[in-house]
Amino acid sequence: MAKQKRTIVGSPITPNMLVELDAISKLPPTHGNFNPVGNWTHHYRVWTCHGYRESGNDNVGFLRIERIGSSSETFMLNIHQEIVQNDAITNIINGKITCRNNKLASPAEWKLSSQFEGPDGKIISALSSHNHGVATESVTSTAIDWCLFEAVQRLVFDKQSSLRFDLLEGMYLSKLRHRLFYRGVTPLKMNDRVTPLHCFVQTGSGILPYEYWLDERHRLLAVISMNKAYILDDEAEQIIKREAKEARESYKRKRKQEQ
Amino acid sequence: MNEHTAEKQSGCLINRRDFIKLSSGAVALLADAAVYAGRQDRKPKPKNIVLIFTDQQHIDTIAAGGCYHVRTPALDRLKTSGVSFTQSYTANPVCSPARSAVFTGRTSSECDVYVNGRPIRSEIPNLGQWFSEHTDYETFYAGKWHLPRTYTSNIPGFNVINTGIGGFGYLCDTVMSRACEGFLRNRSKSKPFLLVASFMQPHDICEWLRLNMNNPTGLRYPELASKLPELPDNFEFDSNEPDRIKKTRSGNEPFKGNWNKEQWQYYRWSYYRNIEHVDAEIGRVLSMLEESGHAKDTLIVLTSDHGEGMGHHQMVRKSTLYDEAARVPLLFSWPGHISENRTDTTSLASGLDIMPTLCDFAGIKPPENMRGKSLRSILAGTSTTGNEFVVTEVSSNTGRMVRTKGYKYITYINDSVEQLFDMNNDPGETVNLAANVRYSSILAEHQKILREFESKLDVPSAVPNSDTWRHKI
Repeated sequence: MAKQKRTIVGSPITPNMLVELDAISKLPPTHGNFNPVGNWTHHYRVWTCHGYRESGNDNVGFLRIERIGSSSETFMLNIHQEIVQNDAITNIINGKITCRNNKLASPAEWKLSSQFEGPDGKIISALSSHNHGVATESVTSTAIDWCLFEAVQRLVFDKQSSLRFDLLEGMYLSKLRHRLFYRGVTPLKMNDRVTPLHCFVQTGSGILPYEYWLDERHRLLAVISMNKAYILDDEAEQIIKREAKEARESYKRKRKQEQ
Repeated sequence: MNEHTAEKQSGCLINRRDFIKLSSGAVALLADAAVYAGRQDRKPKPKNIVLIFTDQQHIDTIAAGGCYHVRTPALDRLKTSGVSFTQSYTANPVCSPARSAVFTGRTSSECDVYVNGRPIRSEIPNLGQWFSEHTDYETFYAGKWHLPRTYTSNIPGFNVINTGIGGFGYLCDTVMSRACEGFLRNRSKSKPFLLVASFMQPHDICEWLRLNMNNPTGLRYPELASKLPELPDNFEFDSNEPDRIKKTRSGNEPFKGNWNKEQWQYYRWSYYRNIEHVDAEIGRVLSMLEESGHAKDTLIVLTSDHGEGMGHHQMVRKSTLYDEAARVPLLFSWPGHISENRTDTTSLASGLDIMPTLCDFAGIKPPENMRGKSLRSILAGTSTTGNEFVVTEVSSNTGRMVRTKGYKYITYINDSVEQLFDMNNDPGETVNLAANVRYSSILAEHQKILREFESKLDVPSAVPNSDTWRHKI
């Protein structure tokens, strides 16, 4: 069989590159009543790129973030993330974060559970874990990665200001000396339409730069860091659940053949 | 026990049955080792063993080892709590071949894994199979395997607790360390285990290279300009290199994209961030070992399959025999049993040493024909006698390297250019002494070492160049 031709992408992933690589064909419209400080739910499809145009670029999971305003001091974020791995093993994260109503959405209290679902669709209890944390009021310069998805939507598009903080990634891993700043606006060309997108950049230890891409209404459309992207997609959950189901069936067939 | 666990255990039994279907010679070895394992070994045995693998980690990427470009609290913890080797070499600077050597103690050509994506020859047992048969450790695996499948739930000799995502380190390693966290939290302290935690990072630099090949008009993040690391001292390269190296270099992204100095620096900066990422995930595993009460009874070993070019000799990735690709971190930690905070700068170590070393700690005889040696006495500080030399293979079994205490000799099939470096006076491998008559006896001595080493190997005839090496030098 002839070896499949593969073309190196060559340039960093941007929203326009996501369109070029068929990772985005449309973006959900931002409704008139969208309010970053209101109650909302965003679904993101998690997409990864192998660095070639023709192959190895896949959806691997989804992230659902629900914001619920609770008081003038705090609000709640409910997190649900599923990452589907080879041989149909899925990692399921559920988190509840009480965030302070400051620029970073600093965590006040959080609970997180990690579970693994096997190819038979059942939870592997031997791999489950739970974490719980509480931060005092003085902890205002710490941000959780998922909370930044909320926080950037409340920031002004201003090149003069930036935020400095330490990152508590996945509510567990400490990554120091991060900075988040506004980069500017870039047109996204898709389906014969041009949409201006605003970009914030996050740099710091333990990560490659994250780019947060927002529309004029401050809704976060995509988060890109090197070869992975979180893409706003109302159908993300259904797409991934369907792909996970197919993966489970494929795995079962494979096991059957092996036996 | 839930159904999935039962399925995994069943999978393991199937693997063990397969393992017993070895050739009669190998079965005889099993019997011999079983007798040995039954003897009382006076040396203390760790309750548990955790083997941590990183992928593509340059040796000089640990803050506590003097790398001031990174923040690596987890690697620092490991390094200061045990022994680290600075002269530690992979058996093959390519993923699958290197892993085959670590998991068997046999050279990659003997394993029939001379390129990526090949299975280990069926008659050679891997670490999981050997431990399952001869010890009371239950054997678990999480993450990248690559022998042949990169991520699979079917690894002979191991219960696979987590697979991974094809090819991508960031998400993959985060999920993998969470699986290890859950495993360690829930694992009974009364049941000994061997856990392999095989991370993908900092391998994402491969994707980075493909996504940053084209030389940009300026730095993508100008804010980073003052933070970019300098180029290495041996950034320049000798124009009279073996063709294999020239070909590898010219096919790499920096040459295709005609990189400028800043882009090289940005690549190095990005690689360091990938190191910090895997360090954080390793930190989760180490923290969980402590929180779960396993830490004091656990021998931890960390190594990498191969290094990373990082701009030394203007190379990126792996597949060469220069130190940047061939030298790898090798750390051992077991509080109270292994010297603490000791950096061994003189002993030569190899990925081939890991299998015999782990067998030694487990109190069992290793499989026959190990090509490496147990490092246990060096780790305990009771001996300084280690390997006189180490050998590394590369490039579909077309290249070899012999590293002795003073020199490194490199040769490729069908290439008249050989390389000899004085590693004490020229650790950057910048001056090739092979054609210098003053070094002819040293060259001949290294050729002889290689010839004798090759003569002992049991390489399947189907492996490319298997005969050529026996007669080459």
